[in-house]
Amino acid sequence: MSGFQGAAAVVGAANTPLHKRGTSAKTSLELTLEAILAAAEDAGVDPHDIDGFSSYAADDNEGLAVGAALGVREIRWSTLVWGGGGGGVSAAVNAAAAAVASGQAEMVAVYRGLSEADAGRQSYRKGHLGPLYGAHGMLVPAQVCALRTQRMIEVDGVPAEALEALVAAAYHHAQTNPAAVAYGKPLDPAVYADSRMISEPLRLYDCSRENDGAGAVLVTTAERARRLRRPPAYVLSAVQGSGPGWFESAENEDTYTSAGFHPAMVERLWRGAGIGPGDVDVVQVYENFSGPAVASLIDLGLVPPGPDATKVLHRDNLLAPHGALPLNTAGGNLAEGFVHGIGLVVEAVRQIQGRSPNQVPGAAISLLLGGPMAPLVSATLFGSAATLS
Amino acid sequence: MIPDDLLAVVEHHGQAVARGEDRAVLADFRQDRIGQLVASARPPREMNAAQVLGVEPGPVEGQYTAHIRYTGAGGDEAIFRSRWIFVDDAWRVTNVRNVPDTPPRWPDPEPDQLEAAHWQGLERGELRLQHCPACGTWIWAPRPICPTCHRARPLWEEVEPHGTVFAWTRTWQPFDPVVTGHLPYVVVNVELAGAGGRRLMGVLLDGDRADVRIGTTVHGEFDNGLLRWRLEAA
Ligand SMILES: [Zn+2]
Repeated sequence: MSGFQGAAAVVGAANTPLHKRGTSAKTSLELTLEAILAAAEDAGVDPHDIDGFSSYAADDNEGLAVGAALGVREIRWSTLVWGGGGGGVSAAVNAAAAAVASGQAEMVAVYRGLSEADAGRQSYRKGHLGPLYGAHGMLVPAQVCALRTQRMIEVDGVPAEALEALVAAAYHHAQTNPAAVAYGKPLDPAVYADSRMISEPLRLYDCSRENDGAGAVLVTTAERARRLRRPPAYVLSAVQGSGPGWFESAENEDTYTSAGFHPAMVERLWRGAGIGPGDVDVVQVYENFSGPAVASLIDLGLVPPGPDATKVLHRDNLLAPHGALPLNTAGGNLAEGFVHGIGLVVEAVRQIQGRSPNQVPGAAISLLLGGPMAPLVSATLFGSAATLS
Repeated sequence: MIPDDLLAVVEHHGQAVARGEDRAVLADFRQDRIGQLVASARPPREMNAAQVLGVEPGPVEGQYTAHIRYTGAGGDEAIFRSRWIFVDDAWRVTNVRNVPDTPPRWPDPEPDQLEAAHWQGLERGELRLQHCPACGTWIWAPRPICPTCHRARPLWEEVEPHGTVFAWTRTWQPFDPVVTGHLPYVVVNVELAGAGGRRLMGVLLDGDRADVRIGTTVHGEFDNGLLRWRLEAA
């Protein structure tokens, strides 16, 4: 074992209610504060004790401004992860864990808030695709992920049914999560198959749709975590980054159908926790789009590549409580709601706390994957207290 | 055979579009994709007349294709090709586009200084990519120094604009008003034959009817400062 070995843990996690894009009257700062206060209440922590702030995806609200609004006693540390939109989601948790493990801070809020009211439409697009894309009608990440997904299907031979299985599982899980945007809106397979094409091979239901909302988790030292009221979700292992020949290369990535979790990174993640893919109880995989999420699971060794992908990626196998690979158990970005994946962090933690809307019985190892097919990707392995012995 | 009721619906639809009767027009669209359909095709300015040019079966079972010419007060015209299916107890448009298909054009790419030589080359009808004279590395996207040997200022080498399709997507969603009138369009990521496997994106000409496959040979055509691609004739 190496890396964190349980030196830091998440002790509180919460989302605000999620609103259809552009319908929240609140600013992203108000939503962010609401989420952090709720996470503090979940943990049983006085919000004034928060002394660090971490975010990602070019969040509009600097840690210093968030801390000032909360009236915290002291800000000891704050950071923003560079690049990659949702690719930074795990990295923001990992950075917070590093801060508390090294004694730079004691109680770090990891947050992400979105509100069209102040951030403007399609805030996920900000500064993303330059003229080498835009001049050719490549305007949004959906098209980038469509190019790569098409090759994954056509050349690698991953069946399109693998993508559909992942979407179906997300919608199924959302039906028992009253906070999910797709709650009460089950997805009929015929509706999926007949839904409008966005950019081939991605259909409407393969794409996440931005919501107004915010989420936050609190990260603290293992020592302090043990004295709080929730079962701590210990950070067992954490990686972020970008492999050789991968980043910012205008669709010239060496491993084009990878999600970006290159072999050295994946090996480092498992080695850090002293476990392998077979030990994972539950997965939250970032689905900007279904195809990249499938690519992530293949990169991690959780799903076989090529035509065999559907041996693991079939709907029933992905459902809590009894599937072999339960994933996106609150509905994920696709069906719970999309605030750049912060909801996936909250759900990864809830599984360890034992209070997911689709609890995996006795979940002890919970994997969070951020970013797929983005310039930056990141991952966090959370474990229960039992995994530390 | 074309169902009689469909002919009447198409005729009525054309007139409603020409008269700007939005409610009637929207009622003819598939209700789960109104936003996409409304922003897919671009009408002529000051549209005031419609003429149904024809309705034929296909391209798939249960679908019919209509061509309607819309004319504007200033003499502009546009032909819309709409595809109709019977759904939710009515004939409805499931997709629509301008024909013939034309590629979208971003009005002002505002290129990065690092990319300037590439765009200037395209203006002159030359495809130029970075190439390191010291170690031979082809570099794309452009970089300030060679990432292999770190020599400053890679040269801009001219490359033949042909290669093979490495990936493709056909975009249907109007992500920006600029692409209205060109949807759906196909973008290909082309692996260049003469540039060390470097890849370049571009719009595929005649993508509307193209059966695009990865590995197919494509040739570039210069189009007012942009490079477009065309499938090699089978
Ligand atoms: Zn060199």
